[in-house]
Amino acid sequence: MKTLLRKSFANGAVFGAIHIFLVLIGFNTLIGTLLARLTGVKFSGDIPPAGALIVYTALLALLGGWAAARKSKSGSLEKNLAAGAAAGLASGVFALLLSLALGWLLTHKVDFRQYLAYLSFDFIRVTLYQLAPLPGALSALGLFLFGGALGGLLRGLRGVNVVQRFSALLRRVWGKLAEKVNLVLHGRYRLALRVLLFALLAAAVVLLPLKWGSYWNYVTGTVGLYVILGLGLNLIVGLSGQLVLGYIAFFAIGAYTMALLNSPIPHNIMLGFWPAVALGVILAALAGLLLGLPLMRLRGDYLAIVTLGFGEIIRILLKSDMLTDLTGGPRGIQNISGPRLFGVDFNSDIHFTYLILAAALLAGFVYHRLERSRAGRAWLAIREDETVARATGVNTTRYKLLALALGAAFAGLAGAIYASRNQFTGPDEHSLMASINVLSLIIVGGMGNIPGTVLGAFALKGLPEILREFANYRLLTFGALLVLMMLSRPEGLIPTHRPKYPLPSPDQQQKGREEVNDDL
Amino acid sequence: MTCEIICVRDVTKHFGGLTAVNGINLEVQEGQIFSIIGPNGAGKTTLFNCISGFYAPEMGEVLFRGKSLRGRGTDAIAAAGIARTYQNIRLFSNLTALENVMVGFHHRSSEGWVDAVLHTRRFVREERAAVNESLKWLRFVGLHGTANTAAGSLPYGAQRRLEIARSLASDPRVLLLDEPTAGMNPQETLEMISLIRRLREDFNITVILIEHDMHVVMGISDRVAVLDFGEKIAEGRPAEIQANERVIEAYLGAGGAALARKYRERKAQHA
Amino acid sequence: MNVPLAQKSPPRFGRVQTVLRPLLGAALGLFLFYRLYNVIIVQHEYGPETWTRLLIAGLIIGSVYALIAIGYTLVYGILFMINFAHGEVMMFGAYSTLFVFEAFKAIKVGSDPVLTFSNAYPVLAILIAFVVGMSVSALIGYLLERIAYRPLRKAPRLVPLISAIGASIFLQNAAQLLFSPQLRDVTNPEVLARGSGWSLMVNGSKVILPYTGVFTFVLSLILLAGLYLMVQKTKLGRAMRAVALDKKTAALMGIDVDRTISLTFFISGALAGAAGVMWGIHNGLVYYFVGFIPGIKAFTAAVLGGIGNLPGAMLGGLFLGVIESVGPAALGLDFQLKDVIAFALLIIVLIFRPSGLLGERLAEEKL
Repeated sequence: MKTLLRKSFANGAVFGAIHIFLVLIGFNTLIGTLLARLTGVKFSGDIPPAGALIVYTALLALLGGWAAARKSKSGSLEKNLAAGAAAGLASGVFALLLSLALGWLLTHKVDFRQYLAYLSFDFIRVTLYQLAPLPGALSALGLFLFGGALGGLLRGLRGVNVVQRFSALLRRVWGKLAEKVNLVLHGRYRLALRVLLFALLAAAVVLLPLKWGSYWNYVTGTVGLYVILGLGLNLIVGLSGQLVLGYIAFFAIGAYTMALLNSPIPHNIMLGFWPAVALGVILAALAGLLLGLPLMRLRGDYLAIVTLGFGEIIRILLKSDMLTDLTGGPRGIQNISGPRLFGVDFNSDIHFTYLILAAALLAGFVYHRLERSRAGRAWLAIREDETVARATGVNTTRYKLLALALGAAFAGLAGAIYASRNQFTGPDEHSLMASINVLSLIIVGGMGNIPGTVLGAFALKGLPEILREFANYRLLTFGALLVLMMLSRPEGLIPTHRPKYPLPSPDQQQKGREEVNDDL
Repeated sequence: MTCEIICVRDVTKHFGGLTAVNGINLEVQEGQIFSIIGPNGAGKTTLFNCISGFYAPEMGEVLFRGKSLRGRGTDAIAAAGIARTYQNIRLFSNLTALENVMVGFHHRSSEGWVDAVLHTRRFVREERAAVNESLKWLRFVGLHGTANTAAGSLPYGAQRRLEIARSLASDPRVLLLDEPTAGMNPQETLEMISLIRRLREDFNITVILIEHDMHVVMGISDRVAVLDFGEKIAEGRPAEIQANERVIEAYLGAGGAALARKYRERKAQHA
Repeated sequence: MNVPLAQKSPPRFGRVQTVLRPLLGAALGLFLFYRLYNVIIVQHEYGPETWTRLLIAGLIIGSVYALIAIGYTLVYGILFMINFAHGEVMMFGAYSTLFVFEAFKAIKVGSDPVLTFSNAYPVLAILIAFVVGMSVSALIGYLLERIAYRPLRKAPRLVPLISAIGASIFLQNAAQLLFSPQLRDVTNPEVLARGSGWSLMVNGSKVILPYTGVFTFVLSLILLAGLYLMVQKTKLGRAMRAVALDKKTAALMGIDVDRTISLTFFISGALAGAAGVMWGIHNGLVYYFVGFIPGIKAFTAAVLGGIGNLPGAMLGGLFLGVIESVGPAALGLDFQLKDVIAFALLIIVLIFRPSGLLGERLAEEKL
């Protein structure tokens, strides 16, 4: 019991520190605002009512109590309760101290915002639940204690007979259901079902862009472009195992090829969309080849930093005054003209959505075919063990270069379409952060497979567009999620499975076995 | 001196101050099963690494079918027809067993990425050939049932055999086996012995073997070379090696060798 | 029975590479010679005073790079991972300086209304800034390892790297949210006022040798020397080297591997913190992105010197600092392009020496 309490205190203290951090970055008012908006409570300005914050504090404490009780790994109700309460008390003390400090700032009229950006007086007042400093601080303590205990209690209730039975029942029902679904999916109607699903999806893909406004088409287009980028990087990182950090440089090459060849300023070449796309793809692939050729002897991490440097070089060169006449300099290139196909000028987001979807399908097709080929196996072998792959007869240099060039070509394609759609491209679009985004999306989704890439692209590029509320917290959450993801599910949301080849029929196998047995 | 299949000429390799392999000469005939034995750290695996191109020897060279392998990369040597396995198993563990073997088949097909994307006739033909050939080798080592299992999740003995299947798929004339029976139980060891025999009988593959299990070595080898501290101290037929004083000394030390001599003399007296 | 399907052709790329490297070297050498000749002899745009100025600036920034680079190298040497968040650790050191000096600026000493604590006890103020900055950064480095890296020690190499990238993004944005995105100026104690310094006369014109710069440079060298001695001479240093060589064997020899790794992160965090404080004092601009570019540069420096190699990181840092400062002028390029020169230098060095300037040669494939 003693160690249990001590551990729970420690856990609570960690939670208390997290609480302080969340308050200092204004996270409490963000959740408060969301809560108030969800429940339809009216409030003015960007400061939510105190009630919302009380709920927020209680919920946070509940979570803390639950976590502490879970970590104590004890079965009995009392022990869970004690762990939760102890954790609540510990984090409550942190909350109390924070509230007292904030109260001091408020009563002495110290404007601390130039040091900690969120600490405006209004913010402090609502964080103290619109109470005076001492009562506010004490209620924070009380809320944490109460919430923590409740969390521990709820966790402890899992051990109670009734709850246990109920959850077992739920699990059983769920299991049956899953089994049924599985049966339908893989049973007799598997093909018909798949065709149906595919048809539905295709219909949705064809029809939805017409229904959507230009905003959603824009978002879909962005996701689609990132799918292409993700697949390209997957060829390099996921299949051949080479870590490339400056991948967006190839995207930039595609985008600038399109821009320079199809914009009135600075060169007024106006070559047209299709040749420019082809040229962008080829140039990007060439860049990948040229970058890779002298660097193939490098160990993995060295390649990472070199490609990072390459990405930065491209970006800075595009931005520099020296090359302004050539590349448009820091302001980028505007008025890039779009493609023309069957007499239709591509000028709306709907057109580009279709174009991007087609390109993404093409990229997916190529990726799929490559993955299951001699080249794909060679890449995977290199990823798994480069030394042995080479000693098994794979020309590793050649295949690493091939992966680099093909991956770069994907990026070139995406870049060219991107520039044409936005009718603009500038150096700052091609920053290191963009490279890291692409890398993250393939890792979050599941390295080396297409569904994972699509899911990752949606999660990384689509979700933030939907969750505008979190705008300020987007990158923070993203960073934290990356870490958590690596800790809990490093294989990504959708793990990769290798293809199964049809084997000879069982009786043939049997024969084979007998043969071998005869010999032994 | 003719060199029919593989010759090691005066090969020397240093690591810092340590001479791992010192002026070794070996000559292996086509179709032989040639064992290399010696105490731990005698330089056996280093010699293998010199033959398969991982290390460039400072002196001497390795000849394969009369041609020097000096300066050739490991991939070129593998493609020329020298395949190997590793002391600590090194499979592509996330690939299936079949795919592992198909990687061995890599240099024997020529389909490029364009073929793969377009599914050209060449692609279809070569993929089918790769699958069939690989399945054949899997069956040969008795792993046809687990073709679609990830290599890393196979049991230990199966992994050893899979490694052999992978090297066989590259159509080698010479196969270097680095302790193929290490960690195996007697039954598995017997199976491995028969497998090695069949390599020669069915496919006329020359096998060079590093092995610690003397039953295996003496049972299947045509010739045995003994290394100690990087030098070859003896070479001959298994029976000759068993009687060789220097070999016994290398294994048992001077005292042990004397004891063994006494034992043998007494046995002779009794007879 | 085994019919080869394809003709065996010798690999071509190997040969292309062996031809490519000398060709590339010759082309580069010619280009450099041409540009240098043009700028220094033909155009003669800059006198010795400018070169001196650039060299001084380069050495100062280089010493900061070296200090950060040591952290990368220490961690890489032990865990074989790029601690991508290391620049952010340095950023928190810079913020610490800002806050410490702000606090001391606010404290008045005695009856004099203008005399602040910073100016009354400058040595103490600076010392406290270093203590605070180094502790904060060391703590962050330590926590980083405990939370984001330790559970991933056995995972494939990409996994901890992504975790590090995530941590880097998190720390950057945490700082932005906590301290607001604006750029802040650090107010130094007057003895170390920015811009003032010793005047040297070079070629008839004045070159300022700034106090802050000399302070930064000398202190960096002292810290680097201290670290080097620690790694070479102390028990902890020996443990670190043992863990770097072989974790399993080190554990068998009774070394607490976890603790050693923790301490490594702690020490590299402290050094990055010191670099951050120096950045605050010498450069003076502090904001949430301040660690990013120096972090990447320092990593470049570590790779330049041969990652995992302590003297290499120090040398790499100074070398990179000087090259990126002198390079643009020497090649007659825009000063905007100094980062291009830094990264190009990295690529060129790695083409010709794949394991860095002082790294061990990898002549053969490692088994």
